[in-house]
Amino acid sequence: MGSNASIMLQQDDLQNICQQTGFAVKQVQRLYSRFKTLDKRDCGYLTRENLLCIPEVNINPLGERLIDVIMEDYGENNQINFKQFIFLLAKFRRAKFKSSITEYNTRDSKLRFLFDMYDRNHDMKIDRNELLEVLKMMVGGNIHDDQIATIADHTINELDTDGDKSITFEEFCKTLERIDADDKMSMKFLS
Amino acid sequence: MYKNKHSIFLILILGLIFHKYYCKEQTYIHNQAKPPRFHVAEFNFDHVSDVYAITLWILLGSLAKVGFHLSHRLTEKFPESCLLIILGLIVGGLLYITHLAEQKAYVLNSDTFFLFLLPPIILEAGYFMPNRPFFDNLGTILLLAIVNTLFNTICIGLTLWGFSFTPLYGGTQFGMLPCFVFAALISAVDPVAVLATFTEIHVNDMLYIVVFGESLLNDAVSVVLYRMFDSFAKIGQENLIPLDLILGFLSFFVVSLGGVLIGIIFGVVACFTTKFTEHTPVLEPLIILVYAYLAYLTSEMVSVSGILAITFCGMVMKQYVSFNISKKSDATTEYVLKMLSSIMETIIFMFMGLSTVSDHHSWNTGFVLITLLACLVFRVIGIAIFANLANCWRLLELTRIDMLIMSYGGLRGAIAFALALILDETKIPRKKEFVTATIAVVFFTVFLQGITIGPLVKCLNVRRKQIEEPTMSAKLTNRMMDHVMTCLEEISGSGGSNSLRDKCRNLDRNYFKRWLLRETPQEKMDIKLLQTFKKINMQSAMKVHDTSKGLVPTPSSTTIHTSPSGANLRPSSTFANFSQLLAANLPEQTVPDLMFFESQGTEHYHDDAQMHHFLDTNLYRARPRATIHVRSKDEMADTNNETNNRFEKSYHHRNHIYIPPRLDKEQLHGRKTGRSSSGTNRLTGAKAASSTQADHDSRSSKHSLIPSYKRESFKSTNSPKQRQQQQKSKSRSKSPPLSSDQPIKSLSETKDIDQPIPPVSIVIENEDDTVKMDGATAAERICPWRRSSLPDGEKLTSTSSIDDPSNTSHTFSNTNDPNLHSGPLTSANFSGAYNKSAEYMGEFATITKPEEYVSRPHVRDLFNNQFRTSDEKQENNSETASNESVTRL
Repeated sequence: MGSNASIMLQQDDLQNICQQTGFAVKQVQRLYSRFKTLDKRDCGYLTRENLLCIPEVNINPLGERLIDVIMEDYGENNQINFKQFIFLLAKFRRAKFKSSITEYNTRDSKLRFLFDMYDRNHDMKIDRNELLEVLKMMVGGNIHDDQIATIADHTINELDTDGDKSITFEEFCKTLERIDADDKMSMKFLS
Repeated sequence: MYKNKHSIFLILILGLIFHKYYCKEQTYIHNQAKPPRFHVAEFNFDHVSDVYAITLWILLGSLAKVGFHLSHRLTEKFPESCLLIILGLIVGGLLYITHLAEQKAYVLNSDTFFLFLLPPIILEAGYFMPNRPFFDNLGTILLLAIVNTLFNTICIGLTLWGFSFTPLYGGTQFGMLPCFVFAALISAVDPVAVLATFTEIHVNDMLYIVVFGESLLNDAVSVVLYRMFDSFAKIGQENLIPLDLILGFLSFFVVSLGGVLIGIIFGVVACFTTKFTEHTPVLEPLIILVYAYLAYLTSEMVSVSGILAITFCGMVMKQYVSFNISKKSDATTEYVLKMLSSIMETIIFMFMGLSTVSDHHSWNTGFVLITLLACLVFRVIGIAIFANLANCWRLLELTRIDMLIMSYGGLRGAIAFALALILDETKIPRKKEFVTATIAVVFFTVFLQGITIGPLVKCLNVRRKQIEEPTMSAKLTNRMMDHVMTCLEEISGSGGSNSLRDKCRNLDRNYFKRWLLRETPQEKMDIKLLQTFKKINMQSAMKVHDTSKGLVPTPSSTTIHTSPSGANLRPSSTFANFSQLLAANLPEQTVPDLMFFESQGTEHYHDDAQMHHFLDTNLYRARPRATIHVRSKDEMADTNNETNNRFEKSYHHRNHIYIPPRLDKEQLHGRKTGRSSSGTNRLTGAKAASSTQADHDSRSSKHSLIPSYKRESFKSTNSPKQRQQQQKSKSRSKSPPLSSDQPIKSLSETKDIDQPIPPVSIVIENEDDTVKMDGATAAERICPWRRSSLPDGEKLTSTSSIDDPSNTSHTFSNTNDPNLHSGPLTSANFSGAYNKSAEYMGEFATITKPEEYVSRPHVRDLFNNQFRTSDEKQENNSETASNESVTRL
């Protein structure tokens, strides 16, 4: 399967992608084969349903939200093609050395991705409703709305420094300074 | 300081000497005595000698630890373990010189060590193992623990054996197998020493867990290797067949996996047991400890790795037990574990020092030096090889500095020593040299490396462990990262540690939690997130509680803090009080967000005041104290003002009836506090109180939502009145109610105060002047007019903001209605305390009635009529009521 997939991928594209994202050729080929596996109808793009077919994503509380982000921010028309797919994943490539940091996998872009998980209206602010939504997804269960609202208020109060009852990207980053988000938001791509 | 410490030790030792000698003398006399006579008192040291000695040792250890920590300079420079060893050396030296006790009595006994001293330390380590870093680094840890230990053993053994052909050892011959036995015990990194050293230097979690995990898990390897070579030595080199090696290799799996399995089984059983302990919570900590100890003993019994068993037992238990057992038991377990492990560690190091001073030594310079060198060199080499190997799959590479610290942190300790002590001298003739060399290595690593590792870590700028308070946002984002990375790993098809963890978590939730927890968690519910939230809330609540202890609201806070506090406080409606709230273990119950008050930035005056009131309303249930204070306040209001304030406030909040006449009451017990600000407090407190009542009375909740600007305006309009009233009631409080005082008051009040206040103030004055009233009758009396007055109040809200005070006051008095008020305290509860002056109430009722007549506007005729009737009723009832309560009491 892997060898077949790599044939379908144009050599120029491959080089291009590798250069831009910092992936090794083998990694890209592997990801391409993965892409092909997910793309069951073989139409060159992934849809929401394709991604939801992955059982782990399906049961993950944030799975749908993540797919939302992927589809809306990285793909178009609820579709994502391979190039977009690989640029998305390039964000999470582990940068072993300073030199291998590309424009994609900086700490900032990773945090930005996280921020976008909350901020669905792209106003660069996480407001209370957005936080509530995410909290409901994550906490789950049949917890009373009041309690979730309390948690949300609490969280906003923790982060909010300018008192506008919403979290800006800067405020968001500030609290994450002490968490090595860079490490946690990275993964090993098999080659 | 030093003198103190030494004198303590000297006294202890002298005590011991005294006991020994006295005891001997006594027995001597006993033997000589001709006919036995009855003894008035007997001295029988033998009866308790063993336990007495143990207890004394423990005492000495604890006192030593206390003493060391009194001197900050000492503990800063030297790790505790070093100091304890030195102490042991000193005491051992003294005992050796004086020949007080036989050496057997104080030399570390390996049975004692393995059965009593070691398990608590390991259990504590397992119980408090940071699971996340442990499992994240499990691959590396296993590689280091197994392969690196094996590598070290073989290399050290070969080197030692190889050097025996050179004249370095001074002509002493060492067999190959004894060398390997020794290598097996000396190559294992010691968890006790690592723990003692690394907890003091605070390196980052990853580094700590890699070194410590290695030291824990290499036990299996070192036990197997030690036992294997030991038995090989017994079998004899010439009788060995390859089968023995294969069996030894197999036994490694049996020992390690068997230990893990036994640990997990006992852990699971312990969790299952705690499922049913809700009626016997006192035993919960014991159950945990006993199961863990059983796991250790069982695995020792079947000769698998006890350390692994107890480690995993602790880890498994920690996961589930803390959900089952009560909060107190949880705290107790943790504390007992910490205490036990700390004292055991102390004793171990002390005994290391003690045992050093003995006759069982045979110093062989060449051997000791070679051992030391081999240990150091092969540690560095091993780490370099295997850390680089681990880096191949690690996401987070180990840097050179990490490797250096890892190899430097390879401390040897008491386990090696205890193992060396139980060597069989008939089979291994060079036992004494081995023991000496072991002690040398242990001392070298503990002293030299232990002392220098702290500065080294600082010098190399190793990332330190960040000790921070958990924040909700951090936790939330962490969880989000986990979820996102799991999804992405699945999408990209590169199953990493995240997706593996996710699978484990699902398995855990679907099966283990279901069987082992009292309450099965709900589908997809994130307990951890809620737990964090609750923990944070608890912390901030405690902090606020502590800081607000002596809090006196400042006069500057004249404005009411307007904020969505109502929304924040509302969840508290599910709890009647704070203790219930603290007791809430269940994830579906949450706690009011106290953090809110802290995060309000610089305007802490308002927040503190608010918080103070919020806590007061929720925290105190102290019925008797409140009444006591009320009763005694007239006598000692000035002397004990702060505490009085505190309790009285809580008292007032509990009884919402007392809130309205804030103007009146304020200086009664808040004389020292800023007046206007305490007015604010009262209001906010009332607000909180009313919001807690939301469930019970929809009307009151409606009122609690009155826009705060109205209150502010009311505040400002009220301030002059306030002062007047303050003066007035001050005089009144000092001189018990005089009828002459009342007319004046009513006159002045009628000018300033709006209509509805007087009726309420009557109630208050009654209370202030310790009126006796029976609860039931009081409620009856109070109800009618209150209920009827309520519509008026509501009407007023819509018409004018000036009338707000009346409005709010009515609301609150309404909440006091016993039918609606479910809080623990009502006026009825206090009625018993006031029965001394029955006539006061009647007096007041009559006197205050004119007030009503004078100040009554036209609009409220209906209300007034009703009030008058109720008042009259009060009058009539007062005496009967008082009689009733007197008889009842």
